Amino acid sequence: MDPIIQVEHFSKKYGDFTAVDDISFTVDEGSIFAFLGPNGAGKSTTINTLCTILDKTEGSLMINGHDVCEERSLVRKDIGIVFQDSTLDAQMTVEENLKYHCSFYKVPKNEVRERIDFALDLVELTQWRRAAVGSLSGGMKRRAEIVRGLVHDPKVLFLDEPTTGLDPQTRANVWEYIQRLQKQKNMTIFLTTHYMDEAEVCSKIVIMDHGKIIAHDTPENLKHQYTGTEVDVVCTQAEPLIAALQERGVSWRKDGNKLVFHTKKAPAALEILSAHKAEVKDFEVKNGTLNEVFLAITGKEIRES
Amino acid sequence: MNPITAIVQRNLLNYVRSKGRVLGSLFMSMFMLVMFSFLMKSSMGNLDTPMNYLISGVIIMSVFQVSVNNSSDILSDISSGYMKEVLVAPIARSQISMGHILSGAVIASLQGVVTMICGIVLGLRVSVLQILILAAVMLVSAMAFSAIGLFLATVSRNSPAFQTISSMVMMPLTFVSGAYIPTTIIPGFLLPIVYLNPLTYTTSIFRYIALGAHTLTTEELVEQGIAFSVGGFVITPFMGLAITVLIGAFFFALCVRKFNRADFSTVKVAAGMRGGAPARG
Repeated sequence: MDPIIQVEHFSKKYGDFTAVDDISFTVDEGSIFAFLGPNGAGKSTTINTLCTILDKTEGSLMINGHDVCEERSLVRKDIGIVFQDSTLDAQMTVEENLKYHCSFYKVPKNEVRERIDFALDLVELTQWRRAAVGSLSGGMKRRAEIVRGLVHDPKVLFLDEPTTGLDPQTRANVWEYIQRLQKQKNMTIFLTTHYMDEAEVCSKIVIMDHGKIIAHDTPENLKHQYTGTEVDVVCTQAEPLIAALQERGVSWRKDGNKLVFHTKKAPAALEILSAHKAEVKDFEVKNGTLNEVFLAITGKEIRES
Repeated sequence: MNPITAIVQRNLLNYVRSKGRVLGSLFMSMFMLVMFSFLMKSSMGNLDTPMNYLISGVIIMSVFQVSVNNSSDILSDISSGYMKEVLVAPIARSQISMGHILSGAVIASLQGVVTMICGIVLGLRVSVLQILILAAVMLVSAMAFSAIGLFLATVSRNSPAFQTISSMVMMPLTFVSGAYIPTTIIPGFLLPIVYLNPLTYTTSIFRYIALGAHTLTTEELVEQGIAFSVGGFVITPFMGLAITVLIGAFFFALCVRKFNRADFSTVKVAAGMRGGAPARG
């Protein structure tokens, strides 16, 4: 797979303040790419530059072979954007929003109707097509917004926290739509999110902090590198196990009737457990989560950041 | 649909849907029309058709005000976030500007025509041909005014600032245009502003047509404040219209330049950044 987005040594300064400091990364065509970081890390600046509405200070940014700062109109044709804040036209109906979007993106006239019907059906807004966007619920607005970003068949879809502010049910639905579409159209998705379960399905994750990239890998590798395995054991007799842990220099604690310890990798836990089969009544092995990765790398919880 | 057509259609729909605004704006035009035509009728002794002279001034002035005020629509697009959707679309920035200018001009001209019809009720005497020509002149003038308004809106970036800036610009331009106060009695030190003011020329061409003044000599036109003698050079009403178009084109270019500045949309982006970068006013 070839990279469809190539960012090399990109920097953005506002006067003396460096919002983005010499970052480089690539995004493969047809992949879902997660761009994470605490607020103020430089994510929005990077996205806005890729979306052609901010100028770079230095470096090169390419989308589908076009320079983001030099060939703006070519880049604009290839991308779809769902911003963090609503950019819908509240006075217009859902259908009008999509119709004008199609005119802006020069969707062939004979396809407009069909594409709008398909899009509305996809997000279950067909019966609301003639409702003013301003009168819709938050979840419906979000769905309308996402589908508007898709209706011109972009090669790359930027989703800036697409599900923030939605109730869990709607969030799950919206996210399911996005994944389904991505597969159907082999689109590239550039995602920022506060929800780690969304980042989990991405093929690559970049974590930014203070304007720099501090991690760039697959979710699996990140978890491997930055988190360990947590083992919760319920024992008939705790002492032999504790002794074994101390012998290996593994720290442990008691949590109610459970004994909790951490190992770097799951097989190491298996080894300890199997040596003490007799005393183990029940156990649970928990692998590290992306939340822990995020915490380990940035020192902040993603949700509170 | 062509992007310009799409923007014009959308803006017109938006206008029609906000009924309160349509009525309020029409009411203002009517109010000005009635007030000025009755209050100033007595001061217009030496003309054959004083109502034509007065009412044509009031109409073009209302076209001016509606054009400039309508330009503030783009500010609600900016604050609602919709402007970002337009700015990231593959449309030329000149098309965005032209769409807004055209829709503003169409709205202002339609209101101008309504005002003109009410003027007829109040004593404006014009032929059908004159009405058609006046409507065409209105549209051209309104485009120039909309370009000025759009520029002011993109400079001010928010509604309160636009209110201040636009009244700062509109008030003086209105008073030195000759629409209410004849240019012939304006003090000499203000004359440069009079001659740079597009409203001066739109008022003059409007009166020229409404009064059927093509039969008058150049001297008579200058005397009535319909043509202007600048150091011996006479600016005729048609030259004035050309000057208006040029001024409009100048402001159109400024708007395109403003939209082309990549970080124009930071008005809204700044709110979404939440510390990503300092907001820049």
